[in-house]
Amino acid sequence: MSTTTTTVTTNLTPSDIEIATRAADTFTRIYYTAYDADTRLADLPQFYRPTSSLTWNGKPFQGAEGLVQLVTQMPATKHEVQSFDCHPIPGTSPPSLLITVSGNVTHGLGPAGNPSDLPTRCIEGQPRVFSQTFLLVPDPTAPPTKPGEVAKYYVGADAVRFVG
Amino acid sequence: MSLSTQPAASGSKTIASSALRRAGLMDRDATMRDGTDNAGGRKGRTRSGKAARMLDINRDKPSGSRPQTIRFSTSATNGHSSQTAIRGASSRPTLAGRIRRNAVSGDGESSTPSRIPVKIMTPKPVEAWRELVKKRWNPETKFLNLDSMLEDEVVKKYNLNPPGNGGTGRDAAVIFKLAGQLKPEVETLSLANNKLTGMLLIQLGRYLPSLLNLSVQNNSIRDKKELGMFIGTKDKFTKLRELVLVGNPVHDAALKHNDTAAFRADVARRIPTLQVLDQDPITQISFDAPQATPLVSVAKPNATTFPVEMGPAFVTGVDGSLVSNFLIRYFQAFDNQRDALVFAYDGAATFSFSANTAIPTRARITGYHSSREMPNQRKLEWGSWLEAGSRNLNRIGSDANKTISNLHIGGEQIVKVLTVLPPTRHDINGPPEKFCLDAFPVPHGQNMGLLVTLHGQFTEVTSGGIRSFDRTMMLVPTADGSGAKLNGWDVTILSDQWIIRSYSSHEAWKPGPMLVQAESTKPKGGIVSAPSPQPPQPFNVASLPPDQQAALATLPETRQNLVIQVCAQTNLNAKYAHDCLNGNEWDFNRAMANFNNVKASLPRDAFL
Repeated sequence: MSTTTTTVTTNLTPSDIEIATRAADTFTRIYYTAYDADTRLADLPQFYRPTSSLTWNGKPFQGAEGLVQLVTQMPATKHEVQSFDCHPIPGTSPPSLLITVSGNVTHGLGPAGNPSDLPTRCIEGQPRVFSQTFLLVPDPTAPPTKPGEVAKYYVGADAVRFVG
Repeated sequence: MSLSTQPAASGSKTIASSALRRAGLMDRDATMRDGTDNAGGRKGRTRSGKAARMLDINRDKPSGSRPQTIRFSTSATNGHSSQTAIRGASSRPTLAGRIRRNAVSGDGESSTPSRIPVKIMTPKPVEAWRELVKKRWNPETKFLNLDSMLEDEVVKKYNLNPPGNGGTGRDAAVIFKLAGQLKPEVETLSLANNKLTGMLLIQLGRYLPSLLNLSVQNNSIRDKKELGMFIGTKDKFTKLRELVLVGNPVHDAALKHNDTAAFRADVARRIPTLQVLDQDPITQISFDAPQATPLVSVAKPNATTFPVEMGPAFVTGVDGSLVSNFLIRYFQAFDNQRDALVFAYDGAATFSFSANTAIPTRARITGYHSSREMPNQRKLEWGSWLEAGSRNLNRIGSDANKTISNLHIGGEQIVKVLTVLPPTRHDINGPPEKFCLDAFPVPHGQNMGLLVTLHGQFTEVTSGGIRSFDRTMMLVPTADGSGAKLNGWDVTILSDQWIIRSYSSHEAWKPGPMLVQAESTKPKGGIVSAPSPQPPQPFNVASLPPDQQAALATLPETRQNLVIQVCAQTNLNAKYAHDCLNGNEWDFNRAMANFNNVKASLPRDAFL
């Protein structure tokens, strides 16, 4: 097959895939740990830049500032990542990474925060299923801080929905 | 890779970034090194004994290679205590790492028989080890040099058996615990040249989790399993930046099989903070990770409502009909003739699917798994998805081969896997509220791409059961003259990720306000707001006893999830949860009902 599109067709090597997988593993862990921490207002904006595009359940926010605005008013969270996947995006170098995450998230006090006089089968306060997509892109202006560092990556785009 | 099995050759390497070198841990000639280099002390050590040990280390021998040393030493004298040595050699070390030798009798089986056996009042072992640790500790450089312990004056004085040379895992743990008590905290540790197995190193991370630099050069870590005992996965060494593993059988084997890239990747995966391995920097993508202590103090999360309502579909920066036309055509082909999608993908496009087999809490409470409206839910099986190559990196991330083989590249490869996945029916022209679309432009190199996420449901044709999905695609405009253009695709897929999960209702994304907690049915004013808005901890598998964790790991993934779910709901231990499910044909609701009927009669040890 020889489709020529606007992208440069580059072959991904096993090493590219391995580095991307490792990066996604690290990112998902440190990102949700930061999100669930008491210090999230200081920690989470580090992952974003002014150009980052975010949507939270269909509502757009712009850049690290928009994120702060969103998260300031967010109840406490506890995320549990149940599944994630990551692709290096062909045609970019060093490659952008597309990460998709599926898991559940508990807000506020969870079921324990519900009043005691609830009907059975009440789902409020229970963990929701969330789906989150990140596009991670390299920041060419960020100086490397580790000897083998390919680049520093930040969240170029972030789209999250509650889906269950 | 230019790693050398010969430690002596490392002198020619110049890695400016090596923190170990700065700390004096990686020396020019490891074979020349012993405790005296840094810690001061004994002079006049015989070279021959040392050289023999180095040779032993480079052979793939069982870890309890003490007898070799003894044999060499004794052959230099009069065959003293050779009986003991031979007996020792025949007893391979057990997994428990108890490399027992005939030490209790104190038969004078010293490593340097030439020394005159002067009887010294032996202190308690812990005090003797403390003397060794103190002697080898440099608080200024925060460097604890425990290399070649067998050679040390203190060890000889008290006739100690260092771990790896006759000492047990308990001795190792005592030494590591003493090291963990040093002030200031140890940053750099060398355990080089000690014949340590992975088992003997199992407690190191427990007592010294914050090490920055660590050398276990020239030891006896045999294989991946032992490596796992030593470094574990992810949480054992939380700050480690540099590690030296050269001169261990596990490393030698990787070199021999030309497999160092995979070996390094495995170690890097297990220790996410690692920057330098065996003097070579680890290639990695990094992030502006949050500081351990934030520079500014910030408000803790205390909101009790969501910042904004659930919004409807969000499509911006693109003609909405372009996206919907694309998706309608895509899913019609996907449901009816998947190989027709070959031109929808770029020649370098990537595709993978992931099964999230967890049971969604709200769907479970609502009872969708056994509802009359969806009679086929019980017939759904995860097997066909898992076997077809789910790329849930939470599950397969440790398997380098699967992470590669389950990522499909290029239209032809992609349709090949699409055609073997279970047949589906997406009701894309049906009720629109059953799908939820977000699409907006994102940077793609110097150009722009379109990030599309679609959430919805589909019917698995074979069983008639319904599943939910999340589909994420990166789209770019189709190039003129391309196969995609000729086939009428205005946009082309660059990346496509598909998450398949158990059914949850589309009510989840119904636009409007959302609740954090349930509202009381009582009149307002009577509710006392809760003091601390910290969510409860979800059930953690790690809270199960180790034997139950191990047993759990042998179950198929879907059954693991069921057992975990029952444990979380009932506080039953995994064994009882398993038996309860097994007695109810692995039907969650039946098992829960059964539990509720009998819970009063269950013994206390049924619970966690």
